[in-house]
Amino acid sequence: MNDSTLILTLVAAIGLGTGLVFATVGEIITERAGNLNLGVQGMMLVGAVAGFWATFNTESLLLGVIVAMIAGAAFSVIHAFASVSLRVSQIVSGLALTIFGTGLSSFLGEAGEDPLVGNPSKATFEPILEGGLADIPVIGPLIFGHDLMVYVSWLTVAAASYYLFHTRMGLSLRAVGEDPASAESAGVNVARVRYAHIMAGGALAGAGGAYFSLALVPTWQNEPIGASGWIAIALVILASWRPWRALFAAYLFGAATRIGFTMQTLGEPWSNIPSSLLAMLPFVLAIIAMLVLASGKRARFLGAPAALGLPYFREQR
Amino acid sequence: MTTRRFIVEPRGLASTGLILAVPLLSVLLAVIVGAIFLALTGNSPGEVYVKMLDVSFGSSRGISETLISATPLILTGVAAAVAFKMLVWNIGAEGQFLMGAIFAAGMGIWLGDGSPAAVALPLVIIAGAIGGAFWASISAVPKVYLGTNEIITTLMLNFIALNFMNYLIFGSSSPWRDPLVPQFPSGRPIPDSGRIPEFFNRLDYGFIVACLLAILAWFLISKTRWGFEVRVVGDSANTARYAGIGVPQKILGVFLMSGAFAGLAGSLYVAGPVGALDPRSLDLGLGFTGIIVAALARLNPVAVIPVAILMGALNNAGPALQSIQVPAATVTMLQGAILIFAVAGEFFIRNRVRRPEKRLEALEEVSAA
Amino acid sequence: MADHADTLAVEFRNIDKAFYGVKANDNVNFDLRRGEVHALLGENGAGKSTLCSILAGLYRPDAGEFIFEGTPATFKTPKDALAAGVGMVYQHFRLVSNLTVAENLALGHPKLSVHISQEQLEEEARQLGEEYGLPVDPKARIWQLSVGEQQRVEILKLLYRDAKVLILDEPTAVLTPQESQQLFKTMRQLAAEGRSVIFVSHKLYEVKQVSDRVTVLRDGKTVGGAETKDAEPRDLARMMVGRELDLPTRDPNPDIGEPMLIAEDLRVAGDRGLEAVKGVSFEVRRGEVLGICGVSGNGQRELAYGLTGLRIPSSGKVILDDEDITKKTVEQRIDRGIAYVPQSRLGMGLAPGLTTEENLALKAYRKPPFSNGPMLAPGVFKENGTKLIEQYDIRGVRPGLPIRLLSGGNLQKALLAREVELNPKALIARSPTRGLDVGATEAVRNLVLDERAKGTAVLLISEDLDELLALSDRVLVLYEGEVVGRMPAEEATPERLGLLMAGHRDEGAA
Repeated sequence: MNDSTLILTLVAAIGLGTGLVFATVGEIITERAGNLNLGVQGMMLVGAVAGFWATFNTESLLLGVIVAMIAGAAFSVIHAFASVSLRVSQIVSGLALTIFGTGLSSFLGEAGEDPLVGNPSKATFEPILEGGLADIPVIGPLIFGHDLMVYVSWLTVAAASYYLFHTRMGLSLRAVGEDPASAESAGVNVARVRYAHIMAGGALAGAGGAYFSLALVPTWQNEPIGASGWIAIALVILASWRPWRALFAAYLFGAATRIGFTMQTLGEPWSNIPSSLLAMLPFVLAIIAMLVLASGKRARFLGAPAALGLPYFREQR
Repeated sequence: MTTRRFIVEPRGLASTGLILAVPLLSVLLAVIVGAIFLALTGNSPGEVYVKMLDVSFGSSRGISETLISATPLILTGVAAAVAFKMLVWNIGAEGQFLMGAIFAAGMGIWLGDGSPAAVALPLVIIAGAIGGAFWASISAVPKVYLGTNEIITTLMLNFIALNFMNYLIFGSSSPWRDPLVPQFPSGRPIPDSGRIPEFFNRLDYGFIVACLLAILAWFLISKTRWGFEVRVVGDSANTARYAGIGVPQKILGVFLMSGAFAGLAGSLYVAGPVGALDPRSLDLGLGFTGIIVAALARLNPVAVIPVAILMGALNNAGPALQSIQVPAATVTMLQGAILIFAVAGEFFIRNRVRRPEKRLEALEEVSAA
Repeated sequence: MADHADTLAVEFRNIDKAFYGVKANDNVNFDLRRGEVHALLGENGAGKSTLCSILAGLYRPDAGEFIFEGTPATFKTPKDALAAGVGMVYQHFRLVSNLTVAENLALGHPKLSVHISQEQLEEEARQLGEEYGLPVDPKARIWQLSVGEQQRVEILKLLYRDAKVLILDEPTAVLTPQESQQLFKTMRQLAAEGRSVIFVSHKLYEVKQVSDRVTVLRDGKTVGGAETKDAEPRDLARMMVGRELDLPTRDPNPDIGEPMLIAEDLRVAGDRGLEAVKGVSFEVRRGEVLGICGVSGNGQRELAYGLTGLRIPSSGKVILDDEDITKKTVEQRIDRGIAYVPQSRLGMGLAPGLTTEENLALKAYRKPPFSNGPMLAPGVFKENGTKLIEQYDIRGVRPGLPIRLLSGGNLQKALLAREVELNPKALIARSPTRGLDVGATEAVRNLVLDERAKGTAVLLISEDLDELLALSDRVLVLYEGEVVGRMPAEEATPERLGLLMAGHRDEGAA
């Protein structure tokens, strides 16, 4: 039973979705503070190359992930500075971050005497908690036998949810995303809150990127994350800015990414569907989700922060 | 009691010098950032930059290739400029470009050898515009009538268009695929009657067409009644409604126009240098580079032309860098850095930053004005 | 000075603050004792809000000394001010509308633990409300509350932090006279507890009623101060205005003609889909000003939308000059002679990023000579702009300058100039002098009265009773989307209107 196509697809979806979980939760935190960062793709790529590089040189996965998170956070400061301090359009600033990050990541992977490109990682995340527990029908393989990062992602989701809705900082963060002027006059430092959570988003995007280069495709290649950074931005809406929903939304997209492979295992006639058509599925799914769930006032209803995307001018007069 | 380090205030009007200085400085700073990364990775920045200049501007062939690279960027740049000016966040020029290329190639192939160039060429080019506008409409119509966020839908449509193109060439035996080389999937060439003639090395008249289209876009926005209405809507949708301007129609119009321009980039590409729907020779990222072009040109369709030539030069130089063991991605990195600095530069165009001590002078300046 | 240290809460000496070269505070001196209600009196633009915002840490002064409880202090942010015990209730409330009352009270509180418990916050909010006679449901989200309730939350927010100095910026502007009385009681209670209250107002009778002392500001300068009981209202008024109060009012001998703008049982939906205008009927005659008063949010906006076509009425009729225009679009109504001055100039009415010239042509651009077919005629835009800028004395215009950089008074003059130039049959104006200084108020009032003299039907929708009574021939009171009273201006007193605005029906008059 645990070998059925459905279970195998779901298990694979968890793996394929984990990078998305980190990035989506990160973007949720950033957007809840009222900042739309379209630089997720760039931050993930910078995290992916930095994490790969660190593990390549130290053979430590822990260091790889930490370096990826630091790199993602540091890189996101560019967007924070432009959109919070200089108050330029968040959209253009985020796009700039993605374009720069994409170039930088490929450049760092290819540059130098002995480039990273084509090299396998010196260490990769391996499944843990295998054996007996994983043999429990249905829930066994879904819960056990993943690599460590999957469990870390679950903890991240739980922590983010607690942080957003049950802590002092979470309250300030949500207030800043809804109405920065009011938050400021209640004594909240809007700029500091936005910087901190843009950087938190950057760190999580970095971790998500590293998951691709250290676990999913542990050989360095250009742009190892596909379009995950862009998908993460769509997932934020699908998850209606709530971390737990992001977990399931990410797995849904993990499954959609896996669909080509699944079709192959099903044999004729399914295996005849061209892979390029199946590759559209996650994107079509995202558009349909947008149309159904997030059109017009419904987006606000879902929980879109009211001040999302708007620069905040303190001394506006 | 408290003295503040800086005072920031909006500038009413920025001088022409400043408006020119910001993009130039952005390029300069990006070149410096690029040099740092090149030096850190053991390359000689000087050598790399000289090579790039030489490839792009060092010969008549280089110049013509630069202008070939610039042609689609002019149009994707205009596509982004007109949309962003209206606060329509069309991030989908990439997909609209591909759809334009697909439509244009489809038209060329459908027409076949039978029709004269005077008929075929305009039809091929217009087909691309329709393809781009059609692809934009998938985001535009829900945005206008349902309020769906266009950033996500246009982005996702980029990837759908890309996969659709791959399907046409790699995943099926569609009419777009060249039947003569079945082992090696590639695009079927369109007839010569659908191709734009060349006039300077490999450079074709598509470049001139692109420049004229950019000027047309400027004219539409700044000189016509429709353009005035569009500018009012872009500035304040509430005020537009108040003045009796149909906001949805204007947004839809601009969105489709933006898509059509991106689609035209695709058709000029197919009818120009490539001659087929060929995934391998289609430069990916032209849509995104168009956003850089638009930002650096401060959303002015005419200023897009020189900026596109600069970005075209960078794109043109990229592959040649590999011959001196420097990653082609250097170019993307530089372009991204230019955009970051240009975006930050907007702040200095819009605001004046001064020290508080200068308050009295500032006062005099205001009263003198 | 030393013996004042224990009685003075706040002392400002020689405060300067300029915005873009315009001095909002110029050498201002002000002191506040413990346990007093201190009124800050002045016209719009006199610098009251600026001074308060400096005290609340929102703005930083360019120069001057600030002494707080006997020692020189600096508030860099509202957080600093709150930590020291100074809090402000702004004219536009600073509440996060999507959060609950309890969350708004807790937001930014320095003593809050990392983990927060909703139940505990709600209990604290409820107790505090009871203690000060400011009841409000702690679980309610702000957007569900009335304006008066929101103001209570704002005051509770300050008391939750045990603020020693409470600044209330024009708190009565959004209240009915009766609600104001309730607020005054709370203010006296706070002062009796030893807290200091700064009460910002431009209404003399309120200042006289509730304050212990009064300081008058004019053109950014302190022009006087006194114990309220010793102050003659006439003297205060003179100090405040700097000359005898002489704002234009209508002449009482109107030349009123035929009905021009008629609303018949008009119903218009609100933003959330519920009916906001519930069967309103009236007629405005040629050369008449009909004033519509009511507390903000009682259907005024939707009424204006229904008349101008920004929202098509769900039922009823709008008739202009004997033509039914109920189903007509905004453009068609403009053509037929409806002019509209909306409440927030830069939010609607003007395109902030376009030039003054372009804004002045915003309604005429469709027709020759402004455009020929699809083409614009830039020369005509320029000519028209130059003419109107001169004629209506619009200042600060430079070629290519976005209109948003003009001052409020000049923006309003530009907007009115454009509307009046259309030679409208009916002019609908919402709070046209709100936030303007005395000079601009005078100019705007004159423009409205000129229209009346020309025979235009004027519908004046305003929350400012002074403005309304000075300009209107007849007054109509809107409460929850219904007309609850109508009367000639001569019979309208603030007290009578206040009761109606609060929903007490005026038997016999409705």
